[in-house]
Amino acid sequence: MTSAERTTQQSAILIVDDEPIVQQSLAEWFRSDGYEVDSAGSAKEALRKVAEGRYDIALVDIKMPGMDGLELQSRLAEVEPDLTVIMITAYASVDSAVQALKAGAFDYVTKPFDPDELSHLVRRAIEHRSLRFENIRLKESLDAIAGAPTIIGDSPGMRHVLDLVEAVSETDATVLIRGDSGTGKELVARAIHAKSGRRYNPMVVVNCGALAEGILESELFGHEKGAFTGAQYRHKGKFEMADGGTIFLDEIGAVSQRVQVELLRVLEDKVVTRVGGQTPISVDFRVIAATNQDLEAMVEAGDFREDLFWRLNVFTVEIPPLRERPEDIIALAHHFLEQYCHAMNRPHSNITPEALEVLGSYSWPGNVRELENAIERAIVVGKECVVRSEDLPVRVHGSTEPVVNGSSLAEVERAHILSVLNAMEWNISKSAEALGVDRGTLYNKIKRYGLQRPPDGAG
Amino acid sequence: MELVSEPSSVEAVHLLTVGPFPRRMAEDLIIGLSREVRVPCRLLEETTEIETQILPDRAQVHADHLLRQLEALPIERGIKLVGVTLHDMAIPIFTFVFGRSRLGGPATVVSLARLRPEFYGLPADPAVTMRRGVAEILHEIGHNLELKHCRNYSCLMFFSHDVETVDLRGMSFCASCAPLLPAGFLAPGRNRY
Repeated sequence: MTSAERTTQQSAILIVDDEPIVQQSLAEWFRSDGYEVDSAGSAKEALRKVAEGRYDIALVDIKMPGMDGLELQSRLAEVEPDLTVIMITAYASVDSAVQALKAGAFDYVTKPFDPDELSHLVRRAIEHRSLRFENIRLKESLDAIAGAPTIIGDSPGMRHVLDLVEAVSETDATVLIRGDSGTGKELVARAIHAKSGRRYNPMVVVNCGALAEGILESELFGHEKGAFTGAQYRHKGKFEMADGGTIFLDEIGAVSQRVQVELLRVLEDKVVTRVGGQTPISVDFRVIAATNQDLEAMVEAGDFREDLFWRLNVFTVEIPPLRERPEDIIALAHHFLEQYCHAMNRPHSNITPEALEVLGSYSWPGNVRELENAIERAIVVGKECVVRSEDLPVRVHGSTEPVVNGSSLAEVERAHILSVLNAMEWNISKSAEALGVDRGTLYNKIKRYGLQRPPDGAG
Repeated sequence: MELVSEPSSVEAVHLLTVGPFPRRMAEDLIIGLSREVRVPCRLLEETTEIETQILPDRAQVHADHLLRQLEALPIERGIKLVGVTLHDMAIPIFTFVFGRSRLGGPATVVSLARLRPEFYGLPADPAVTMRRGVAEILHEIGHNLELKHCRNYSCLMFFSHDVETVDLRGMSFCASCAPLLPAGFLAPGRNRY
């Protein structure tokens, strides 16, 4: 058992004092309190004993002949960094004790000691050590349970993305993740956060496209009680919640002009003021933003502030769509197969060659999310222990035919979305599910492509 | 003088007052102790062999010095000698102590000075002082009988350095500590916990 793992009652104390009466009295007193106690009459003797690594707490007298307590403290830190040091001082040398605190001592106690104070101090030190080590163990467990998410892909495009993630995660730079809907922008954001120094603090996700302007403002910056009708309670904003961690602003292109101004101010000053509030609140956060929109074109059109664009566009990670990296499809399909079989406790173990052929031939306009949904569906509807081509959604089969010769990608996407919407009688939830995108994205695409529901009876 | 007491046994408790100490008060302590322990409790005649040493600049009696003198008396095997005083006690490294003893030692010393309500500006209450005094004596004898401090706040061996905790811990040894005491030490019914 290491000294760090000992429980409170087994804690070992080393008393370092050149006065034998102090050593004896304290040793006897601590022994009667159930501690293991040892003493040293000089700094040299203390260093020798600590080198054996048997102590949790050292009570060190500041004034000793030869090497004094302050020098001993720094030497002890080299020998046993986990040792908790409490300095013993006379009233006349409190300044030295303060100096010791600055150098990392847990606390100091003045001679003669109030017995109650000394007892509390030592117990507090033990509790502090115990919490510190528990915290280390929990962080290790957390790393094991919720480490960086797995990003599947061995294509040159994805290998480049992974390199960028590695490079940027150790910095605190603002990241703009770009890519089509369903390419895994949030997954990449989570990987950056999980590999960063902020990983033990929260990553707060805000889907800017899913919230109306007023609600988004309140969500981002918080509000005070009574700030607006319905604000019955004080509400902490997402920036405050992300203090010490990362805020992920998804669909940043959907933010209104008014909120863009506020957002720019917060990103520049790292200070938020709640809606209806007066007090500026300092927050420490890292920003990762994501978009599937052409922000440069939006800047040109005056829909997105140029200063905000440059504030966000510090380090860009561009995720290629799945159609540009077909070599990743098989690996992703197997990854989702394993994931969902495990989650559903199903015995599926493989994908037939025919099904792999179908998967590899499809254009995947909904990208990885669509592929994930297709595999999930196949596992649910499949009756055998393998994913067969007939278990895959009909649209996946359909795309083995040439799509629309000579059409642009946007035209293909528009036509496909329209056909799915019509097939689902414009049921947005069902259509979004079939397309493998979320409802917010589908609404954005309907708006972007100017799609309109045909009047009733028009077929 | 040679220590001849056997730490794990106790046949009698002898009380010796040190310094000015009302006879009635000492007798009350004997009565109080006799209710708690089965072994005979006896009040010794005052002796001039004990000298108190005052700690420099502190107007307090040096508890360890006093303990050493008690331990140096000819204590018979099986006897636990308890020195009681009204002097405020301390040791060089502590601002005060209620009592002092050594694990397995033959003697203990207890000060009633800070156990008296009047020390804290409250009206005198001899019954409260007696109860606290008896509790503190039993705590220190517990150390003489090799017991260490206990984590159970209601146990007599719980560490206490203020009167509130002395009052809180009551007059019983807990289920972990009581079995460690010599058989027949506690009065019938006093090993309830």
